[in-house]
Amino acid sequence: MKKISFSLNGEQRFVYITPNEILLDVLRYKMGTKSPKCGCDTGDCGACTILLNGKAVRSCLIFAVEVESQDIVTLEGISRDGLTPLQKALIEHNAFQCGYCAPGMILSATELINSNPHPGEEEIKEAISGNLCRCTGYQPVIDAIKHATKKH
Amino acid sequence: MEKLKYVGQSSVRIDGKEKVSGAALFTDDLEFGPDLLYAEIVEGPHAHAMINSIDTSEAENIPEVLCVVTGKDFPYNFGLYMKDRFIFAQDRVRFFGEQIAAVVARTPEAAKKAAKLVRVNYSPLPKVLSPVDAVKKDADLIHPDLKHYEHVPWFFPKPDSNIAHHRKIRKGDVEKGFAEADYVLDDTYEVPRYAHCAIEYHAAVAKYDHSGRLTVWASSQSPHTQRNLFASALAPMGITHNDVRVIAPHVGGGFGSKAGVTMEIIAAAIATKVKGHPVKVLWNREREFYNTYQRLGVTANLKVGVKKDGRITALHHELYWDAGAYVEYGANVVNAVGLSAIGPYRVDNASIDSYCVYTNLPPGGPYRGFGYSEFLFGLESHMERIARHLGIDPVEIRRRNAIKAGDLTAYGARMNPNGLQQAIDAVEKEIRWEKKLVSKDPDIAIGKGFSLFWKAPAMPPNTSSSCFLKFNEDASVNLLVSGMDIGQGFLTVMAQIAAEVLSVPVFKIRTENPDTDRNPYEWQTVASHVTWGCGNAVKLAAVDARNQILALVSRTHYFPVETLFLEDEQVKCMTRPDFSLPLKDFVIAGIQMEDGTFKGGPIIGRGVFMPEYASTKANPETSQGGHPNVHYTVGAAAAIIEIDRRTGKVKVKKIVEAVDCGKAINPDLVKGQITGGILQGISTVLYEEMKFDHRAKMLNPNFTDYKIPTSLDLPDEVVPIIIEVPEPDGPYGARGMGEHTMIPVAPMIANAIEDALGIRIRSMPITSEKICLAILDRQKND
Amino acid sequence: MALPYEFDYAKPASLQDVLVLLAEKGRGARILAGGTDLANELKQGFRVPDVLIDIKGLAELQKIEIRDQRLSIGALVTFSDIRLSGVIRDHAYVLYEAAGLVASPGVRNRATMVGNICSAVACMDSASPLLVHNAMVHCLSMEGERLVPVQKWFVDNRKTLIKEKELVTHVSIPLSSVKCAGAYQKMMRYTGEDLAAANVGVLLFADGRCHVAFGSVGPTPKRSAKLESHFKTKGVNKGSIEEACAMLPGIIKPISDVRASKEYRMHMTKVMLERAVIQAIDRLKVPTLIRG
Repeated sequence: MKKISFSLNGEQRFVYITPNEILLDVLRYKMGTKSPKCGCDTGDCGACTILLNGKAVRSCLIFAVEVESQDIVTLEGISRDGLTPLQKALIEHNAFQCGYCAPGMILSATELINSNPHPGEEEIKEAISGNLCRCTGYQPVIDAIKHATKKH
Repeated sequence: MEKLKYVGQSSVRIDGKEKVSGAALFTDDLEFGPDLLYAEIVEGPHAHAMINSIDTSEAENIPEVLCVVTGKDFPYNFGLYMKDRFIFAQDRVRFFGEQIAAVVARTPEAAKKAAKLVRVNYSPLPKVLSPVDAVKKDADLIHPDLKHYEHVPWFFPKPDSNIAHHRKIRKGDVEKGFAEADYVLDDTYEVPRYAHCAIEYHAAVAKYDHSGRLTVWASSQSPHTQRNLFASALAPMGITHNDVRVIAPHVGGGFGSKAGVTMEIIAAAIATKVKGHPVKVLWNREREFYNTYQRLGVTANLKVGVKKDGRITALHHELYWDAGAYVEYGANVVNAVGLSAIGPYRVDNASIDSYCVYTNLPPGGPYRGFGYSEFLFGLESHMERIARHLGIDPVEIRRRNAIKAGDLTAYGARMNPNGLQQAIDAVEKEIRWEKKLVSKDPDIAIGKGFSLFWKAPAMPPNTSSSCFLKFNEDASVNLLVSGMDIGQGFLTVMAQIAAEVLSVPVFKIRTENPDTDRNPYEWQTVASHVTWGCGNAVKLAAVDARNQILALVSRTHYFPVETLFLEDEQVKCMTRPDFSLPLKDFVIAGIQMEDGTFKGGPIIGRGVFMPEYASTKANPETSQGGHPNVHYTVGAAAAIIEIDRRTGKVKVKKIVEAVDCGKAINPDLVKGQITGGILQGISTVLYEEMKFDHRAKMLNPNFTDYKIPTSLDLPDEVVPIIIEVPEPDGPYGARGMGEHTMIPVAPMIANAIEDALGIRIRSMPITSEKICLAILDRQKND
Repeated sequence: MALPYEFDYAKPASLQDVLVLLAEKGRGARILAGGTDLANELKQGFRVPDVLIDIKGLAELQKIEIRDQRLSIGALVTFSDIRLSGVIRDHAYVLYEAAGLVASPGVRNRATMVGNICSAVACMDSASPLLVHNAMVHCLSMEGERLVPVQKWFVDNRKTLIKEKELVTHVSIPLSSVKCAGAYQKMMRYTGEDLAAANVGVLLFADGRCHVAFGSVGPTPKRSAKLESHFKTKGVNKGSIEEACAMLPGIIKPISDVRASKEYRMHMTKVMLERAVIQAIDRLKVPTLIRG
């Protein structure tokens, strides 16, 4: 067992792991951070997306041991200080149905908005193109992101 | 018409905040403490084989393994409509990947390691992979015991064959109808299997405690049905309904896959062997594909006769369903289609033979659309072809034959009020059907396609829903129902119905996914029936609560009860405009009288709904005489597509879809169903394709090679149109529409492809490759 | 849950430490950069190592730079970095274009180009671009640097010329003194993320040379000398493109698998070759740009 420490949603946390443990599982089953979901375990679906040093990445394709001293944000961290304009827009647009893909989708969109505050529709589609959703047909999600990022 | 305040509004979902904040918990998000055990499944590597022996000794010796269970531990049959399934395979395996045994251990790692050490000895048997082969006289039998299986009275299995059910329609005089026809088109259509692809896996955690209580947490569309099947399957162990409790957290997508009972029963059964411990069974993506339900495949022979003006004189539809290794649920898909395979048309002379055929492929079962997408692929392709042959506009031929309220259905009942003509008109106009489009790019072909659709809820005639409604001190409400919000927005819609009756804002009504101990009965969340069925129960419960409120105020304030009404969370009186009594003043505390006593008490409503006119009692040779379907929801859709003639790649430019939902309780959620359903439909026709190897092992049980659409694969434009011809017995006139939205898509795209290229493709999926090779083939033959 | 195999993990602070560890562990070591392929391979129990050597501590491997008339792309450069790099867009446009079609943004944020050519799965997106750009693979070990032209790098599906104890530090691409333009075409089942069922890279030079490479239509990605000399003799025009497409059955050997039939792969490769060459011709006409 190896002790690793990293910033999780703004808090310095540590955990004991072995090198063969996957970050997604460690976040969910050892640290109680349940918003990253498993939907394929092969990097195809995006449900496990987290922000690692600000970048949206697949936590199912990262070994926990790799995140020593890194900065991780999950949806719990995004919601900590109240809902963001993006989250509010998603509610207003009834953007999600079952909601299982929502955490990953929101983090992918968050990375986009952080680097590009007023993205065009094609940029939005590209940014969430790795987050599979079987319910919504995506359009309500795209509309909500557009609404949250339009110039006033 | 009554003026509505909450019903008909596009309220935001009551679970919206939970889902965008990360607060929503799904089954695998729940914590069960350090005593949680993990099960790993041992699967059979044969599509059809006898099991000679199972040696678990090596697996049992792995540290941290508590036990290994096999079919011997649970020699029980179960199933929703026909008891042909087993918790673990008994003497034979019938599909590749079937569960043989399970290892229960302290850690998932130990369970996985031990599962590899369970030694099973098999004698392979010949496998039967297509329904057409399986019905041949000399075909090997997949269920030699078929004649002994219990089933619902409206199934007709053929003993000593692979036919588990045959639904037969005989209406009018088909021979005469074909003789009268000016043109008869007879052809075969193939629709393969599909996977639901909910993003959340199936998950179940079960605990059998030392008092004999069995609690199961499951990602489920059917908590009460699961309780019922767990209790009846495990009855030999002394377990009763009263002992079983099913708790259903949020569900990460269902589409039919989490209806009935599949892997959940493994958790329930295993728990009885490790008393006192919670035990988790978590599926993975691969198993989501090959060991839950798959959508059934079908080979459909369709013969339709018409007069020169396009009027249908006769229809014969013969459907051979690839229902898979177990058909306990899938046989009802076959039944539903058997009753409805005339499509949304008036057909006076019809014969339908819908055969449920066992094959050595994964069990077929419920999938959004319940068989209607499959048979409509053929029927709506056929209608387009007939129209083209006769030189009639494809929309016009549909308009001429479209079923009207009062027409007789295939089984002889009267069609319900519906807006099919309005839907056809609205779609025709919005898609600008008459306008022929031509691309400037010679590589691009443009086509338009049209399709009608209909679907009835397929359910037992005594399907019921119920509701408890309780007020809290602040006049907020808890609505207890057992329908599941699987994403469609069920809970929000239920809250809107209660809000309307009680004048309480939607945000003050809390309703959550159920616990069968606390929430009253609901059959299942399937068949697009909960808005209608459970909505009726909720409305009745709210009316019950309202009646109690008004009776109480009448009693304490001496107003005639008929002068009282609810408005803005207050009781008001028609004859006394100055009177108002806020609900929060008395719905728990009661109303104080002048002598200091209190009248009333907590207001609690109850509502129960069962469609008492439904019946499956009919002549099995003709299906005439019963009333198996409560109503049909209908609609129309059209598409504009572009095809790259060089690559076969299809780009969907525009889709218009009109659905008659009776009353849109929440128009935004109705539109959400249309947008989502259309993309799922597009996906089945253009992208998704299950592949199996020579052993009948699925080759692409993953999203790498079973492609479901991404945000880059959307139609350029989707126009949802809501038609509202009220359902007489629906809450505020509502009927279901969740499944329906994907049903017309496949034939509509096939029709548009023919319009664009002049090539008719009669088998799904219609991938770029299939289109491209068809174009090349034509070039070669030209 | 943990993978059912145990291994150690090391994150050396210097290149020297990586080489020492590699020398010591040999085949028992696997290099971890983005890990997107590696994690999936290890989940499937494929090539499980004794030790993972995480090279993400080595800042020098993150660079994209021009040195001695060569564009150098370090082993830690991700596909997202490539998409954000003006230098790569200007000097290795085929690679830039291909990088935008690799998986999805969440994977591109982590997956590296060098990792892509070291995993060397036949359907990889980087190979055809690197082939037409005449890239060089820089392998480093305790014994020093060894240069392998990318044309020789791929030996078989998932097999390269890398030796035990070697680390690929970067890939370099010669800057073209002649104006050039290129294109990358990828055969996918839909617009969204997909592995290439076939791909074509084309790099056309103002002096008439035309580099052509194919991926996913044989065990390894390949340049086609035959086609290149065809274009050299016949010039690049409608007629020669058509002839080139007709020559393809003698050049590539696609197979049928779960993604496509060999017939469709063959046909699509022809269409993609034609479209890529025409794209390259059009791009070459853009006045000032020198785009590799």
